[in-house]
Amino acid sequence: MSKEAVFMQGNQAMAEAAIRGGCKMFFGYPITPSSEVPEYYARVMVERPEENITYIQAETECSAFNMIAGAAAAGHRSMTATAGPGFSLGQEAMSYMSAAGLPGVVVQIMRPGPADGEILPAQGDYFQITRGGGHGDYYTLALAPWSIQELVEIMQESFVLAEKYNNPVVVVSDAMLAKLRESVVLPDYTDNEAAPEEKHNTLTGAKGRKRHLITTCGFGAVQWNQFNNDLQKKYAEIAANEKRYESYFMDEDPDIVVVAFGAYSRVCLSGVKMAREAGLKVGMIRPISLWPFPDNAFEGLDGKQFLVCELNAGQMVQDVKLSVKNKDDVHFFGMLGGIVPTPKEICAEIQKVEVK
Amino acid sequence: MKVVYEAPKINTGVPTTYCGGCGHGIINRLIAEVIDEMELKEKAVLLWPIGCSCVNVNTMDIDQLCCLHGRGPASGTGMKRANPDNLVIVYQGDGDMVSEGMAEIMHAAIRGEKFTVIFVNNAIYGMTGAQMAPTTLLGQNASTAPGGRQVINSGYPVKMAELLAELPGTVYSERVTVNTPANIIKAKKAIKKAFELQMKGEGMTFVEVLSMCPTGWSMSPVKACEWVDTNMTEIFPLGVVKDETEGLKQQEEAAK
Amino acid sequence: MKLELLFSGIGGQGVMLLGETLCAAAIRAGKKVTFSPFYGQEKRGGRTMCNIVVSDEMESPIISEAKVMLFMDERSLQDYEYMMAEDGVMILNSDTIDIEPTVKCAKVDRVPIYTMAQELGNAKTMNMVALGYVLKYLPEIDYNLVIEEVEKAFARKAKLIPLNVKAVETGYAAAQKAE
Repeated sequence: MSKEAVFMQGNQAMAEAAIRGGCKMFFGYPITPSSEVPEYYARVMVERPEENITYIQAETECSAFNMIAGAAAAGHRSMTATAGPGFSLGQEAMSYMSAAGLPGVVVQIMRPGPADGEILPAQGDYFQITRGGGHGDYYTLALAPWSIQELVEIMQESFVLAEKYNNPVVVVSDAMLAKLRESVVLPDYTDNEAAPEEKHNTLTGAKGRKRHLITTCGFGAVQWNQFNNDLQKKYAEIAANEKRYESYFMDEDPDIVVVAFGAYSRVCLSGVKMAREAGLKVGMIRPISLWPFPDNAFEGLDGKQFLVCELNAGQMVQDVKLSVKNKDDVHFFGMLGGIVPTPKEICAEIQKVEVK
Repeated sequence: MKVVYEAPKINTGVPTTYCGGCGHGIINRLIAEVIDEMELKEKAVLLWPIGCSCVNVNTMDIDQLCCLHGRGPASGTGMKRANPDNLVIVYQGDGDMVSEGMAEIMHAAIRGEKFTVIFVNNAIYGMTGAQMAPTTLLGQNASTAPGGRQVINSGYPVKMAELLAELPGTVYSERVTVNTPANIIKAKKAIKKAFELQMKGEGMTFVEVLSMCPTGWSMSPVKACEWVDTNMTEIFPLGVVKDETEGLKQQEEAAK
Repeated sequence: MKLELLFSGIGGQGVMLLGETLCAAAIRAGKKVTFSPFYGQEKRGGRTMCNIVVSDEMESPIISEAKVMLFMDERSLQDYEYMMAEDGVMILNSDTIDIEPTVKCAKVDRVPIYTMAQELGNAKTMNMVALGYVLKYLPEIDYNLVIEEVEKAFARKAKLIPLNVKAVETGYAAAQKAE
């Protein structure tokens, strides 16, 4: 493994990590700020034939997501990368893949909505990502890295998780992490993928085995009730196993706890450090898994004040309120439209929180 | 005793839920017979649409995927590109393909995806209660076109076999029907030819099958078979619309 | 250590390439480096700006203030001077900037970047002249590493390597002579 750091853009490093993670099939529709990912796959397909890349520029994100469903059903690692408008078009297929047990991986590179919106950093798709996003009772595992280093590692792991739970996984990025360039040690090629015919319920032709059938059509209420209950069992298992977070300065009994996720949480951490230099007792919790939400990170923190910082009108703050005893202790600082506050501005917000 | 007729080997024996006189059962059977004859059971993957056919996934002993409404050609793209040696059959109805999934089928053909599409055109939404399809004939009654389809509201019926034949990515497009024994034999030949071309790695192969929906059409099964001849084939003429492979063969022979 | 920089100019002046080349060299000097680009809506002739953070550990990609700022034109100066650290250095392209900064800083270097590039025979080398000059304030980044990264950056247009290396040298030499 080459341990040397390279200087790479988030989108490009992510695409390279996915290829090295065994994802040789990319289906997508260009949309800012995700387009460097399809461009990267398209270039590797031409310039590195030994990688055996399949890249298809789909007619719509709707089709791209369904192509992933087909490739996943055939037992191959496949992915797409998109932004809010495309993610919305893909929701039908997210609901489908969740019900069908198909391990597709989708990168959601958030930009400010609603509708066409802007192409700057935002986190306004948190609800859509963490609440299923499409129709029906389902969840998709959603992981939100804060650096390009964490992004490339999560990108590779997402395929393993998708195959472990036979469920789609959303890698949550945004226009900041996508366009950022920074030092990153690229992960090596992985060797953790089973052959297509050895994976769960794949459709490779019924050779030497009983036929496999993937359907999401109900056969009456009793059957569909059971089907849904089985799905819920899977979500309970994911929730039990995959809650992830990191905390900073939390072992110093802080009065105020900042909560933030994604690349923006790095800005927040710098703000926290500034506030600490100014003498405040501040810590930070950074959820990495947005679903399942790491409510366990908030155990034993009763009485502290929480400042949830998001690039939206207040979405994760609801999950934080569900995770603490007294929701009046939860405060919110949001920014919309693509403006990213500076560490200094976040520090000023922390200073406004009244310690009880 | 000599066996002259029996169920296809890949049939599971589970009965279908199709109405009496429905064409789907015949078309399903033809697919099963051809898979048997070509010994492709171990390579076949059948992609179902949303429609009457998708509740009949237990009748065949092959790998199957029930797709989202209209998205079969997209999922088929992912599947065939992943495992190009498989026989990928994308089975679609008129609502599925021509309404909900028009973008998917057009672009799959534009890219020349190397799977076979079996398009069952019965000019009505059978499963959901005889609503109008994009292939419903002008003046034909439907629950969402009481008194018959009108141009001013709904335009004209869509001729998919001709539309797709216009695209270079389609190598073979033929329209058949299953309303008489003779036509059923022709339909089987078309399906077999499409599968053969797919296994040779040609482009998109497309078979449109005019099918009867006596329930949706509010007529007896016998009348429905007649109605295909008297009303449907005028708008949707039977026969080969495009056969690039024949053309190529002729060119090759002419060159010799 | 932690050093926060801000470079800005008009699209086409090569400010982004300047920043990226500097970052690549800083990584080779063993630093954690973050480069955040900001573009105007226009594909050509719009505003370009980048934040660069060079540090020993990972930091916020968004900076509150910059210790070293480089402005290629007046509007960039007007747009971003508010981010100047009071103890920082501002480098101005004196060929195109006639106005005075309105914020406090420790030092303002006025450098005829455009003239120097033109004297080298190609005004497009402005960004490399500026890169050479900026290095004065980045002693932790080895000059030779920067030259190697410039060579890499122009690998696909090898003809241009000597000219651009010369431009870096010119800017660097001018910075050494300046106060």
